[in-house]
Amino acid sequence: MNRNNLALQIALALVLVLIAAFAGQVRKWQNNWRSATRIMPVTSEKVAEFDREEVDVPPSDGPPEVLVKFREGVSEETVKAITAKLHDRVEDEIEAVAGLAAIDDLDNREAELIASEYRRLPEVEYAEPSFEISLEHGGGGFKHLHPNDPRFGDQWALANYGRDGGKDGADISAMRAWSTTTGSDEVVVAVLDSGVDYTHRDLVNNIWVRPVQIKQYEDREIGAIEDTSGYNAIENSGDPMDENGHGTHCAGIIGAEGGNEIGISGVNWKVKIMPLKFMNKNGFGNTKDAIEAINYVINRKRAGVNVRVISASWGSTVRSKALEDVIRKAYEADILFVAASGNASANTDQSPHYPSSYPVANVISVAALKRDDQLASFSNYGAKSVHVAAPGAGILSTWLDDEYEERSGTSMATPVVAGVAALILSKRPKLGVDELRSILLKSVDKVPALTGKTVTGGRINAAKAVGGS
Amino acid sequence: MLITTWHPDMSLSKEEAIEKARKDAAKRAGISPSEIQVKAVEDAEFPDMALGASREDEMSGQMITPGWRIRLKAGDRTLEYRATKNQLRLYDFEGENFLV
Repeated sequence: MNRNNLALQIALALVLVLIAAFAGQVRKWQNNWRSATRIMPVTSEKVAEFDREEVDVPPSDGPPEVLVKFREGVSEETVKAITAKLHDRVEDEIEAVAGLAAIDDLDNREAELIASEYRRLPEVEYAEPSFEISLEHGGGGFKHLHPNDPRFGDQWALANYGRDGGKDGADISAMRAWSTTTGSDEVVVAVLDSGVDYTHRDLVNNIWVRPVQIKQYEDREIGAIEDTSGYNAIENSGDPMDENGHGTHCAGIIGAEGGNEIGISGVNWKVKIMPLKFMNKNGFGNTKDAIEAINYVINRKRAGVNVRVISASWGSTVRSKALEDVIRKAYEADILFVAASGNASANTDQSPHYPSSYPVANVISVAALKRDDQLASFSNYGAKSVHVAAPGAGILSTWLDDEYEERSGTSMATPVVAGVAALILSKRPKLGVDELRSILLKSVDKVPALTGKTVTGGRINAAKAVGGS
Repeated sequence: MLITTWHPDMSLSKEEAIEKARKDAAKRAGISPSEIQVKAVEDAEFPDMALGASREDEMSGQMITPGWRIRLKAGDRTLEYRATKNQLRLYDFEGENFLV
């Protein structure tokens, strides 16, 4: 490198530094201007005319302290009254999310204290401190990522703020997990259920589509089946459309598209859901069709589809050797099998529930927690036979016809764990099923209510599972 | 063996479910439906989508399912039916569950 080139490169670097510094100063000027005016959030029903009034308020020294989302229908006047009463000011409105505002506390109190004040208000959907985002994992604070899905505030399983009788922090630490990974569309999760409404606007982009290089499914007795997106074992067709809602609900828990400003977020913002239908429109099916559906999943795996997890939110007390054998074949195909422990309030150490109680190395049996971090009264449990618990009562997720519903059951807890498995695989795609299962069972928060009730005594923690703090 | 007819697209009101249960109970008991007494009808939450009354070889979604519990008296026997708008089941009749 000659001297002329070196001088030129140094000069260029200096110019870039000056440009960056100037841009930062412009931003600071903009912030100072905003803090000197009062900007009210408006609901989506209102025309965006802001009531700007000049007020004699000193600019804040630092960034906004709390992010508050006011519920739909809360008027500007109400927001003004609330913030005035708390001696706060609205520093900025976040236009992308209706009702979301950055609130600055004029008393310079702790951000978490301010957030907790807002959370107690019925007008508030959620409130959280504005965390500092840094590029490094530091000793203080932690990274987390908040999706812009408007109903995220109702998903206590992912972020529990202690509302409606909940316990603050009794969730799967999803936001911390998302600072590490939000999932991957290279990971395929099979939802073995009543099918999935694959046209749902919050699922459509996360539905697996058979790649052109993968041949269509062929059954020796039936022949070729055009399996564009999954399989219907009841009709032996390639159309697994859900007519019940249960399968769609489970699919949404795993992977409703996150960050799309629609509805909710799944445990994975991005993933590929493979819909399998073996239960009918009333939510039940037979063992033979369940076996056919698992057989399909194994076949697709062998054909080259990266299907790594089966989510099985169903069962009964009847043991089937044939079903156990095919689940074992799924294990040999390196597929995790996550199953509902059942809703009979029974100890499955004594009264087994299947398939969750099959002693196959890829099976994880999941119990259900309520938002107050207690075991749901309906949930089966078992110190030896139920491995882990996850949120499963009052769970909001996708339903038929672009709708959303809150439902309860170990059915809802199961896809939470299946979803966390998919999150792990998005970061570590080469993990085998044994290690994947081991990581999941080590990635729990111990919960007193689960002592002696599950193998791990804990609630699944997605952040720990993906290596976040 | 009692032949049951189940229509996957049926939609029952509570009263229709009671009447359907009454007719089924009458057939099983070999008496007239008018002799069947309705002992109790209550809202219920069942543990799964087979209403906690799954049949042999049946798997069901593990989701809490709201419906009605209908207790009928047929002679000296009490029969328990479980219903939603889409299905009616007879629970634990002579050790078996039935989809009506």
